[in-house]
Amino acid sequence: MPRRVILLALLAVVPPCRLAAQDHGSIVIVSGQFPSQPIPTLTRGSADNDIADLLFLRLARLGPTLVTAGDRDFVPQLARRWERRDSLTLVFELDPRARWHDGAPVTARDVVWSFARAKDAAVAPAHATALRWVQSITADGDRRLVVRFAKGYPTQFFDATWQLPILPAHLLDTIPAAQLGASGYARMPVGNGPYRYVRSAPGQLVELAAVPGHFLGSPRIHRVIYRAAADGDARINLLLSGEGDGLEQLALRSQQERFLGNAEFRLVPVPSFQVGYVLFNQRDPADRTAPHPILADSLTRRALVLALDRVTIVASLFGDAATVPEGPASMSLWARTSGPTLAQGDTARAAALLAASGWTDHDGDGVRDRDGRPLRLSLIYPGTSPSRRLAAQLAQEQWRRVGVQVELAPLEFPAYVERRNGRNFDLDLTVTNQDPNPAGLTQGWSCGGGTNLGSYCDPAVDSLLARAEAAADGGRALWQAALRRIDRDAPAAFLFAPANVIAVHRRYDGVVLRPEGLWSGLAGWRVTPGRQLPRDGTGAP
Amino acid sequence: MTRWLVRRAAQGALTWAAAVVALFLVVRLLPGDPLAAASELPPETRDALYRLYGLDQPLLTQLAHFLSGLLRGDLGLSLVHGRPVTELLGAHLPATLLLGGAVLVADFVLAYWLGTRLAARAGGFEDRWTLRILLTGHALPPFWLGLILVWVFALGLRWLPAGGISDPLLASDASWIARTVDVGRHLVLPWITLLLTGLVVPLRHHREAVLETLDADWVRSARARGVPESAVLRRHAARAALGPLIVLLGLWMPMLLTGAVLVETTFAWPGLGWLMAEAVGGRDFPLATGCILLGAAAVVGGNLLSDLLQRLVDPRVRV
Repeated sequence: MPRRVILLALLAVVPPCRLAAQDHGSIVIVSGQFPSQPIPTLTRGSADNDIADLLFLRLARLGPTLVTAGDRDFVPQLARRWERRDSLTLVFELDPRARWHDGAPVTARDVVWSFARAKDAAVAPAHATALRWVQSITADGDRRLVVRFAKGYPTQFFDATWQLPILPAHLLDTIPAAQLGASGYARMPVGNGPYRYVRSAPGQLVELAAVPGHFLGSPRIHRVIYRAAADGDARINLLLSGEGDGLEQLALRSQQERFLGNAEFRLVPVPSFQVGYVLFNQRDPADRTAPHPILADSLTRRALVLALDRVTIVASLFGDAATVPEGPASMSLWARTSGPTLAQGDTARAAALLAASGWTDHDGDGVRDRDGRPLRLSLIYPGTSPSRRLAAQLAQEQWRRVGVQVELAPLEFPAYVERRNGRNFDLDLTVTNQDPNPAGLTQGWSCGGGTNLGSYCDPAVDSLLARAEAAADGGRALWQAALRRIDRDAPAAFLFAPANVIAVHRRYDGVVLRPEGLWSGLAGWRVTPGRQLPRDGTGAP
Repeated sequence: MTRWLVRRAAQGALTWAAAVVALFLVVRLLPGDPLAAASELPPETRDALYRLYGLDQPLLTQLAHFLSGLLRGDLGLSLVHGRPVTELLGAHLPATLLLGGAVLVADFVLAYWLGTRLAARAGGFEDRWTLRILLTGHALPPFWLGLILVWVFALGLRWLPAGGISDPLLASDASWIARTVDVGRHLVLPWITLLLTGLVVPLRHHREAVLETLDADWVRSARARGVPESAVLRRHAARAALGPLIVLLGLWMPMLLTGAVLVETTFAWPGLGWLMAEAVGGRDFPLATGCILLGAAAVVGGNLLSDLLQRLVDPRVRV
């Protein structure tokens, strides 16, 4: 009897151990960029952010709804609990289990130091702007933090948690801010996330290893290789030749088609924060004090939007992996609407509107004119972007059908940005990466917005945006009303809100890809037992 | 010889310094925003970034800052990568030297051997067909040939890797033999691509030079003295015809550093060509200047090397 009990006990214990040993593995992520500076306040692109998300934790992260207003949808990370003291004050309590990868505990001093560093506009201008309403942050002992804001607004919690992953004060406070990028720490960052930095080969790869016994759970994917290849075809080749397991940014249909019928990979569309549109410049590029001779007229702008069959453009470029947005709203913006009513376009109505604005084809050359001036516009876009090149060609053809002549001006990216920021364009085919917080809309679409490059101004929209930003309930209805109003005013033709299509090897289970941090859920992945590849065993703990 | 060498080296250094200053200014005069990657930031934030990187300074102040840094061996921080330029150049240079060096050595060794051989068989079957095949290779765009090779050998047969310089999953304690074999496997496809598309140029130069020398008086007199034909070809004609090949070697040295941009991109080869294309395309001024500095050094060094080799090989030049 005792022997049987021992045997049963052994049977009960052994299988879980074997299963646990079988579901670990590695992953090779192929990216278009090399993560040179995966350190908060220094990050410069999506690759840096991808790695920083695995190395560093925030006080709390966005939940699956991506709602930035209030604190209801946030998930604890370094902070295990929080409370609101008054309309201007939040108090956080740090998780005592949180440790830096060198073993030191994460303390309130780290958080205070990180915010002080990030709020220094001379060091981290972008962070300083994002954290401008955080008035002070003070430590109350080793574990408690008091964050005070300069004004009451619904996304205080988002600013206090999401905007800044926490840095190790004990390792960085002796390094002058200007020298951080060239420091030893930048070559071997020490974080507090589920993965630690192992090595980097500049231009080639960065390797991370799982932190065993991490306080948020031990990752089953024990080894992460983040591999860079600048060329899109080269990236796909690396996957199809069996040298990679994950690849992002397969937005174009032509790229997705290379995986058709492939037994090793599946394509996962992840809503993105991108939105693409043709911006109409409402000021004359030759004389910015004067209105644009064509695009200042709202009827003409509306006609230009109606002339476009945006559903066809989206389907041609992205297949099913994009939608037509109503206003400047990406797929992941929680305040987005359900979509525009006339995405297919209406060329008859577009022609009627153009005629009503005085644009008719007097000389029969196929291009409308008014007072001897042809309806001719120039469209700038970065020539290196395949999606924008295709979209520009399709839009040009659709506008030609209603008598609008559009000249395409593909430019090198820096030259494009210079033209754009100098407001030296008629039409600009742009793609923006939105902030999860819809308050970012104010910068681009309010009369005095810093990035309102088309000089669009509608006081009613300004009012809606201001009220939405201050609304205690997050202001979803107000944001949506503003988006609809912007869409109706047609300061731009809002073309596409694409998903980020990811190719992932089929052997992984529990795959969670997050719009706000694509690979940040990697710690919860595992390899389906029995489907491990030889490389899953390399570097195993 | 020593005085000549010192004089030529001094001339080369002056040329290099003038080229670096000129190119420093040219790169900064290109239209385009050096902070294009931060294009979505509000204007005040972008202004702060301009100040942070010293881009708001007058051009001559930037030049003075660059030159003082250059004397200290500090080329500044890359605007795109945020890392010291010297560190980035140091990290990418070995891959370029490996690929470029392997191609250069193979190109010129094969050009010498095969060019001599084809000259001796001029007009024959081997000569005609070898030249036709190599000219076809030369006519193909390197990136296209590279894609075909990847398609066949990496995606189809899976014999060779599709890109990179090494297997990122190779065990950290792998032996040096395993590491060398691994790098060799990654080198094969880009090496063949560059070799097939470039070999015909030095080969034809050398073939024509050998053909000319085969008619020279000293070659005829060697034959008249009864020297065997193979020795006439190798010892007399081919060696005397080395001049054009040496000149070409000097001219090709810069290609060693920056001439394989498209192939490096096709094969995700982490070399300088790709880095330089990215730096110039992204208006990363410090990094672009660093790359140009190396490119200019290769031009000057290549010319110096070619002059030196000419003097060593051809006594007429010394006279």
